[in-house]
Amino acid sequence: MAKTYDYLFKLLLIGDSGVGKTCILFRFSEDAFNTTFISTIGIDFKIRTIEFDGKKIKLQIWDTAGQERFRTITTAYYRGAMGIMLVYDITQEKSFENIKNWIRNIEENASADVEKMLLGNKCELNDKRQVSRERGEQLAIEYGIKFMETSAKASINVEEAFLTLASDIKAKMEKRLEANNPPKGGHQLKFAETRKTETWLSKCNLL
Amino acid sequence: MSKVTVQDIEAVDDYWGPTFRSILEGNNTESLSEQLEQRIRSHDKDIERICNLYYQGFIDSIQELLQVRTQAKQLHEEVHTLDRSVQQISASVLQQGQDLVRARQIESNLASAIDALQACLPALECYIKFTQQANNKQYYQSLRTLETLESQHLVGLNNYRFATQIRQAIPVIKENIRRSAEADFREFLENIRKFSPKIGEVAITHTKKLQKLDINAIIEEHKLLRQQDNRDEENNLSAQDLIDFSPIYRCLHIYMVLGQREYFEKDYRQQRRDQSKLVLQPPPGMHDNLEAYKTYICAIVGFFIVEDHVKNTAGDVVTTSYLEDLWSTSLTKFVNEISMASSSCTDPNILLRIKNLIMLSINTFKCYGYTVNMLFECLHNMRDHYNEVLLQRWVHVFRDILDKEQFQPMIVENQEEYESIIERFPFHSEQLENAAFPKKFPFSRMVPEVYHQAKEFMYACMKFAEELTLSPNEVAAMVRKAANLLLTRSFSGCLSMVFRNPSVALPQLIQIIVDTQYLEKAGPFLDEFVCHMTNTVSNISQTPSAMFHVARQEAEKQVGVRICSKIDEFFDLAAYDWLLIEPPGIASAYITDMISYLKSTFDNFAFKLPGIAQTACRRTCEHIANKIYDILYDEEVKQISTGALQQINLDLLQCEFFAASEPVPGLREGELSKYFLKNRQLLDLLIMEEWSTYLHDYGKQENRYHLVHPQSIIVILEKIREADKKTMFSVLRKNDKKKLLDTVLKQLKHLTERQN
Repeated sequence: MAKTYDYLFKLLLIGDSGVGKTCILFRFSEDAFNTTFISTIGIDFKIRTIEFDGKKIKLQIWDTAGQERFRTITTAYYRGAMGIMLVYDITQEKSFENIKNWIRNIEENASADVEKMLLGNKCELNDKRQVSRERGEQLAIEYGIKFMETSAKASINVEEAFLTLASDIKAKMEKRLEANNPPKGGHQLKFAETRKTETWLSKCNLL
Repeated sequence: MSKVTVQDIEAVDDYWGPTFRSILEGNNTESLSEQLEQRIRSHDKDIERICNLYYQGFIDSIQELLQVRTQAKQLHEEVHTLDRSVQQISASVLQQGQDLVRARQIESNLASAIDALQACLPALECYIKFTQQANNKQYYQSLRTLETLESQHLVGLNNYRFATQIRQAIPVIKENIRRSAEADFREFLENIRKFSPKIGEVAITHTKKLQKLDINAIIEEHKLLRQQDNRDEENNLSAQDLIDFSPIYRCLHIYMVLGQREYFEKDYRQQRRDQSKLVLQPPPGMHDNLEAYKTYICAIVGFFIVEDHVKNTAGDVVTTSYLEDLWSTSLTKFVNEISMASSSCTDPNILLRIKNLIMLSINTFKCYGYTVNMLFECLHNMRDHYNEVLLQRWVHVFRDILDKEQFQPMIVENQEEYESIIERFPFHSEQLENAAFPKKFPFSRMVPEVYHQAKEFMYACMKFAEELTLSPNEVAAMVRKAANLLLTRSFSGCLSMVFRNPSVALPQLIQIIVDTQYLEKAGPFLDEFVCHMTNTVSNISQTPSAMFHVARQEAEKQVGVRICSKIDEFFDLAAYDWLLIEPPGIASAYITDMISYLKSTFDNFAFKLPGIAQTACRRTCEHIANKIYDILYDEEVKQISTGALQQINLDLLQCEFFAASEPVPGLREGELSKYFLKNRQLLDLLIMEEWSTYLHDYGKQENRYHLVHPQSIIVILEKIREADKKTMFSVLRKNDKKKLLDTVLKQLKHLTERQN
C-alpha cells in the first residue's frame, strides 16, 4: 500500500453543544451547509487532504459531541490529537464562558504540546452577537493561542482556520525534527517513525 | 299597139307590166306625156271646184264652235260654286260623325281594361299580402301565399308584363326567403352555442340538487314549491326553456315548403357536428384551471341536452343514429381531452373537483339517456393519476418531515404533549407511561408524523373513490395498493435521500432504523384504519406492515455501507514502511484508531438493534480482513521485509483481538474470527517459515494452512525476496535464506502447475 500523503495530522473539534462544530467540519470537508441541527452522538471524523509547501497533508478531523453525556467517550480522543479547535458561538455567552472549562479539559487529557486555536463561530449573525470580537481576541491572548471568527453558514474563515492550524503544526513538527536530528534528508521517513511513538491507545488495547 | 291611151292605163288595175313595156317600147312617149298633162289639168280643175263648194259651210261651223266654248265656261263656274256650298254644309256633319266613332271606341276600350284589371287584382292583392308577410318575417306564411299566387292567380295572366316579372321573381324571392331563414337559423346556432354552457350548468346544478335530496327532502321541497308556485316558476325552468327553439322549427317548415327538407336536415347535422368540434375544443391552459373544466364540461353537457331536445321535438332533424354517432365520437374526444388535461394537473384538490364535475355530468347525461361507460373508465384512469399526484405530493410532505428531522429520540415535556403524540400514534409502553417528565420516546418525531401522513394519504385516496361505483373491497384494495406504493416507493425514496446525505451520520441512521421498526409495528393499525374507513374485513395477507420493510432494509444495508466506508478512510491512512527491519512492537496508529472508533460505534447501537449490529459487525470484520489482504497484494508494493510483515501481523492481531472481544453481544464464539483466518494462516506461514509442513500437508485434510493457496504465497514470497536483497546484511544467512526461498518457490510453482 503506497503512502498517499506526506503528513497526517489529527485534529479535534471541541466546544459546547450547538456551537456548530459539525457544521464547521461539514463546510471544510464537503463545502456545504445544512441548516437542520443534528447533534453529534459520540464521535465522528472526516478526512481532507490539503497541499502545503508542496507537501500533501492529510487532516483527520475528529468531531466530538458537545453534550456532557458523551464526555467520557470524547476525552479518550484528546491524547492522540495534534491540534485542537476550541469552538464557541458568538451568539451564546455561555458557550464562550465554557471555553475555560474546555481548556482545562485539554490540559488534563491532551498531550502538553498540542496546538490549539480558538474559533468564534456563527459570525454571520452579527445582530444576535453576545460576545464581542475583542473579548474573543483577549481570551486567545491569555492562553497564548490564535483566534478567528468563523461562519460555517456563510463560509467565512473556515478554510483559513484549518490551514492556519495545520501550518502551525507543520512548523512545530519540522522545528522539533531539526532539533532532534540535524538535517541530512529523509525527513519523511523519520517523521513517520516519530509519529508512531506518539500513537495513543495502542498499548492499552494490545496488552 | 301603138296607140295606148291613158284610159287604157287607167283601165288596167293590177297588171301594170305590159302597159309600162308598151309605153317604153313604143314611140308614143310624147303623146302619153301630153295625155298625162291633160289628165293633171283636169284633176286640178276638179279640186278647185270642190273647194269653192264647201268653204261657207266651214266658216259657219267655226262660228258655232266658238259659241259652245263660252257656254261651257259658264257651266263650269256654276258647278264649282255649287260644289263649294255643299262642302261647307257637310263639314260639321262629318266632324260629328268622327267624334262619335272615337267615343265608341273609348267606351269599348274602357270595358276591356276593367275586365283585365279585375283579373289581375287578386294576384296583386296576393302579392301585397306576400310582401307584408315577408316584411314581418312570417316566411312560412309568405311562402304559402306565394304558392297560392303562383298556382291560382298567375295562371290566367300570361300576357301581362307584371305577371311575367312576378313569375320571374318568384324563384329569387324563394331563394331570398330561404336565405333569410338560413340566416335566422345561423343566428339561432350562434345563440345556442352561447347558451349551451348555461344550459349545461343549469342541468348540472339541477342534478346536484337531486343528488343531495333524499325522499323526504323531495317531499318537503314539493310542498314548498306548491306554496310559492307562482313566484318560483323562473327558478324551476327546465334547461330547454332557457332558449327559444322556434327558429329550428320555422326553418324546418320553410325548407319543407321549399322541398329542401333533406338539405336542411343535412345542413343542421353538419352545422352541429362542426359546433361539436368547437365545443369539444378545450379552453387553453385548462389542466389546472377548475373554472375552465367547468365551462368545458358544462358546454358539452349543454350541447347534448340541446341535441336531445331537438331530437324529441323536431322530428327527423336529429335521428337516433345521427345522435348516437355524434355522441360516440364526441364522447371519445371528450374523454381524451379530459384525460389529457387532467393528466397534467398536479393539484389533487382540483382533480377531486374535476371528478365531482364528471360525476355530475355522468348523472346528467344518464338522465337524457346517453351511455356513459367511457366516462367511468376515464374516471378510473384519472383515479390512478390522482393517486400518482398524491404520491408526488406526499413525497414533498415526507421530504419536509425528514428535512426538519434530527433523528433523535423524541422528548416530551408535559402531559399535554405526551397525549397529543399518543393520540396520533399507536404506541403504548407502561414504562414510559409511568416515567417522569420529560419523557423520552424510543423513536424520533418523524414516526408519528409519518404515520399521520400515511393516514392522511389513505384518506385522500379514498376521497376520490367516493361515488365511483366501486365495491368497498375494491376501494380498500385500491387504498392499500396506493399506500403500499407510498411507503415502499415514496417514503423509502425519501429515506434513501437522507442516507445519501453525508451530513446524516451513523447514529442518525441507526435512529432511522429504530423509527422504521416502530412504524412497522404500527402497520396493522393502518390496515385497521383502511378497514374502518371502507367497512371491510381485514385482509391479513396484505398488511401494510410490510410496506415499511423496504425502507428499513435499505437503512440496515446502509449501516454496513457507512461503517465500511469509514474503514476505507482509515485504511487510506495506512503508511507501512515496507523495508522495516525491526518493528516497534505496537500496532499501526490507524488500526488502533479504527478499532476504538468501531468499538464506540457498536457500543452506541448494539443494544438497541442487536440484529443489525451483528450483521454490520460481521460485514465490518470481513471488510477489514479483505483490506489487510489487499495491502499485502497491492501491486504497487514490490517488496515486503520481514519487519514489515511483522508489523502487519501486529495490526492483524489487533483486529483479531477486536473480533474476539465480543464487540456486539449475541454473536457465536469465533464467528468473527473466522473472517481473519485466511490472513492469519498466511502470516503464520510467512513468519514461522514452516515450508516443509506446508508442502508436506498440502492437499491433506489435517492441513494447518488449508486456506493458503500456493499461488498466493508465491506472490508474497517474491516480494520478500526483493526486500531481502536490500535488508539482509549477514552474507551467510542471506545466501541460505535465498536458497531456501528459491527451493520453496520452485516447489510452490510445481504445485500450482500440477493443479492447473
